[in-house]
Amino acid sequence: MPEGVIVGGWSYVIAAYGITTTVLVLYVISLLKRAAVTAAEASDDH
Amino acid sequence: MKRGWIGWSALAGLALLAVGTWIGLFVAPAERHMGDVQRIMYVHVPSAWIGMVCFTAAFVFAIVSLWSGRRVWDDRLVGAVEVGVVLNALLLVQGSIWGRATWGVWWDWDVRLTTSLVMLLLFAGVLALRRLADDEGRRASWSAVATIVGYVDVPLVYFCVRWWRSLHQVQSTPETVDPAMVLPLRLNAIGLLLVAIWMASRRARLEGARRIAESAAPPARVVSEEVARA
Repeated sequence: MPEGVIVGGWSYVIAAYGITTTVLVLYVISLLKRAAVTAAEASDDH
Repeated sequence: MKRGWIGWSALAGLALLAVGTWIGLFVAPAERHMGDVQRIMYVHVPSAWIGMVCFTAAFVFAIVSLWSGRRVWDDRLVGAVEVGVVLNALLLVQGSIWGRATWGVWWDWDVRLTTSLVMLLLFAGVLALRRLADDEGRRASWSAVATIVGYVDVPLVYFCVRWWRSLHQVQSTPETVDPAMVLPLRLNAIGLLLVAIWMASRRARLEGARRIAESAAPPARVVSEEVARA
């Protein structure tokens, strides 16, 4: 392996992809939950 | 539930992200110097691009909101800003992980990193500012003005690596990158764009529903007086 080449970087790659997927999934869940709460509140008002 | 074209395009976006990620992780070659760490690019660069697209859309919505006074543009502004903030935060985390692997540090007050952090704080500030205004009209105008002011930082983030000396590399072009690396990058960028449009439109719809519920409900003062009378 030539000098200056980074080896064994998979843990960083997994961390980056894992965090990205988790945050996006949590954000979508929060969007759906907030929409459900708002819809429930609106139906209570009527 | 009926799924509109935005819902279908988000599903297509998820499929593109799955294929792009697979190619980026397992098919594209490792970079000559950075090795496998460079595979972070396939998620880091799309986050940056689409985050900035969100802020650009928010900037346009802010101008139209001020000009027309129609609240639907304020709803769209919130959707674009919130999704942009999520992607901007992810951008910084991914960049930090990449920086640790390649530069040896989690963070550096480099011009690209600093302007990206400022961008996050400015647009998170827009969302925070909205909570300070009870009046619907004031909330919309404050958000629009803050978005326009905050947007000044977006071109700075993009061009700073060319204008000033930076630890961060300048933008690559398809001519300077192996075609096997361009494909997953483009697939992920288009996929994330479609998913971001869906998320922003859902958030805008939520804001619209809240606004309508808020205007239909009696003011808090009237409710408290009624409770006191009872």
